Amino acid sequence: MAEQKSNAAVSKDEALKRQSNISLIRSLLPIIGLVVVFIIFNILTKGGMLQNLSMVMTQIYVTMIAATGVFFIMTMGGLDFSQGSILGMASIVVCMVSKVAPVPVAVLAGIATGAGIGAINGFFYVNRKIKSFIVTICTMFLFRGIIKYLTSGAPVGANATMILLNKDQLKLTCTLVVVVIGFVAFHFTKFGIHLRAIGAGEKAAKFAGIHTDRMKFLIYVLAGAITGFAAFINVIKVGSVTASGGNQLETQILIALVLGGMPISGGAKARFMNVIVGSLLYIVLTSGLIMMGLTTQAMQLIQGVVFLVFVAIFADRESLKVIK
Amino acid sequence: MSEVRLQVQNLCKSFGITKAVQNVSFNVNKGEVHALIGENGSGKSTLTNMLTGIYTIDSGHFILDGKEIHPKNQVEANNEGVSIIVQELGTLSGLTVAENIFLGHEERFVKYGIKNTRAMNKEAQQLLNKYGFNRIRAGAMVDEYNFEDRKLVEIVKATYFTPKIVVIDETTTALSQEGREELYKHMNRIREEGNTVIFISHDLPEVLRMSDTITILRDGVYIDTVKSADVTEDDLKRLMVGREVTGDYYRSDYGEKVSDEVVFSVRNVSVPGQISDISFDLHKGEILGFGGLSESGMHEIGKACFGASFDRSGSVTLADGTSIDSIPKAIKHSIAYTSKDRDNESVVMNQSIGDNICLPSLDDLRSVLFFLSKSKMKQFANEHAAEMSVKMVNTNQFVSDLSGGNKQKVVLARWIGKDSDILVLDSPTRGIDIKVKQDIYQLMDRMRKQGKSIIMISEELMELIGMCDRIYIMKDGKINGELHRDPDLDENALIAQMV
Repeated sequence: MAEQKSNAAVSKDEALKRQSNISLIRSLLPIIGLVVVFIIFNILTKGGMLQNLSMVMTQIYVTMIAATGVFFIMTMGGLDFSQGSILGMASIVVCMVSKVAPVPVAVLAGIATGAGIGAINGFFYVNRKIKSFIVTICTMFLFRGIIKYLTSGAPVGANATMILLNKDQLKLTCTLVVVVIGFVAFHFTKFGIHLRAIGAGEKAAKFAGIHTDRMKFLIYVLAGAITGFAAFINVIKVGSVTASGGNQLETQILIALVLGGMPISGGAKARFMNVIVGSLLYIVLTSGLIMMGLTTQAMQLIQGVVFLVFVAIFADRESLKVIK
Repeated sequence: MSEVRLQVQNLCKSFGITKAVQNVSFNVNKGEVHALIGENGSGKSTLTNMLTGIYTIDSGHFILDGKEIHPKNQVEANNEGVSIIVQELGTLSGLTVAENIFLGHEERFVKYGIKNTRAMNKEAQQLLNKYGFNRIRAGAMVDEYNFEDRKLVEIVKATYFTPKIVVIDETTTALSQEGREELYKHMNRIREEGNTVIFISHDLPEVLRMSDTITILRDGVYIDTVKSADVTEDDLKRLMVGREVTGDYYRSDYGEKVSDEVVFSVRNVSVPGQISDISFDLHKGEILGFGGLSESGMHEIGKACFGASFDRSGSVTLADGTSIDSIPKAIKHSIAYTSKDRDNESVVMNQSIGDNICLPSLDDLRSVLFFLSKSKMKQFANEHAAEMSVKMVNTNQFVSDLSGGNKQKVVLARWIGKDSDILVLDSPTRGIDIKVKQDIYQLMDRMRKQGKSIIMISEELMELIGMCDRIYIMKDGKINGELHRDPDLDENALIAQMV
């Protein structure tokens, strides 16, 4: 009997080891994928990607900054489809304000715009108890409509001083600041644990003393504000906003996070690494495909396929039903 | 002698690294109530879930009346003559009573692709009447009925087609005394019809009273099959735990004077539709019990004390006059709460044991400023998990992997870590095996001696009588009676005031 028990214990340890190995491989897979994809594209383009690295990198900043906010939302089990419209709206505000006020004021105005739209999302999600994807799809259309109205005559241009700021160094610094603050807050303060707890079991989180409703509302405001900040980077890069400004940012973010290994239903398995690796992988993948000569139309097709495949492989079906 | 109905042969089932059922074989006869007992995680429910097609079989066989069966879902199981009544809600909201009863068997009422609702309702109503549940209307939405009545609907659903085997999986823990008696009646009827009931329960007196034969499982392994008439409760406990259960079960003292110091006052508290005008005081070092039928409103009292009631009126205050009106405020003022709905309201299921234990105490586990100390968190979680002897691999394991008893231990570890002075324990031992129950009772006794105060809400009258200094009996949302600790107190005294 005793021997049997120790045998069982040994096999349990082995099985546990195997399971932790599997989860380690799972968490490393996006990083391995990033390296592999990077190498493959460099071979296919004969080193073209390495030579144009700074051009590739310019595309990453907005996505990575905005993905940080959406990452928080998804960790607590929500979704946000209004990110593209938030970026477009905030970009228009940044452009307009930049013509009449100094740059820092324009940046703050962009952040306030994003936070305002986030607050609308949060209000309907938390107070009116409507599922987040429905609320944010509504605000996506609503603000896209306003963007189209505002840009119907001509694109909204920014003050020339803004365009002079278009330096990699500034953009990189801004991105790093957001990502580092996000990383530290998520992994080293109770903010992250509370978010994960809400994603993993909202009711129980509430009974453990977390202000779940307040938290959910503030996270939408925060995600809006972060994207509002990203609008500043967007404006100095593009100089003016058209009707399609910020279009499809939400899908880019969603694909990037899923590529980075983010569980689509959020919860305790979310890691901030998902944001960084996912955004990099997404940009390498898209710019690689463009360098290979694919048209934008074909790009969307491929993105759709890649997204579907990743979700199908990595989705934790047990917890999918908790998407709020 | 009685004939064999079901042969279980070399049955195995694993979930990841856990071997839930290991090479189990035994026979179940016709015309008997066959109880299946064992501690949490012993494999009882896994076994019956395989029989009813909820889980797939890893290896082994079920042979029903000489023919091997391997149902892939509950409807197939029904067609083979096997049905199940589950512990939690087994009826689907949004459907009528009749649709629930005939779920998966609608084709009987379909003609040319169109469902004849009237015929279905009529037959369902006839069945309900035959069972004596006339007050339930077949055409009504099942949502209109309370938990107990929905269980009655399930009894009809599971037995109307006179199946050869009916599995009753811990259904009684969720039922009040009335509901249980109703269920017992039907168990006896099924036996008399020559069919078989497989009965899973943690309540050993109930098992001894209702069953003919008892099979004991431990850690997924078959231990023994015994005749109910030949064994005592202590024999069963020994077989389940694998050793003698020693020491006190409930607390053993009587006649101790409870302190006069009031630590917690509830005055004129009402929650619409749940409780009305409830007032009581909780004293230092006291265990105050609330008993009653499940619908009596007693569970809402726990929520009201923890600031978790929606739409509460009246006042809930500490001795110093602090009003408790939100959960964070309750926790801040050293009040702890375990919910009856453990999986949804107590533990964060898809999160690690460590995070679950640390959640309310994060502010005490910082290194500098607002940065958390991972080592402090780990130490904190390990210390309190060990204190509650949580059965786990390590604190990184997810709570969803644990059995009910261990989940409850994690919840208690969380509040012990927070060092709460007032504990509101709603159904603390619900669905938990004897060994863990004993641990929890002993813990409550120690806490009481340390001067902590406990409100214990329970549907199990014996534990209220065994543990409490005072017991309030609830009826229809009001306090209907107060009983004091006394060795002569018995269940009948409580039941008299409940109904």
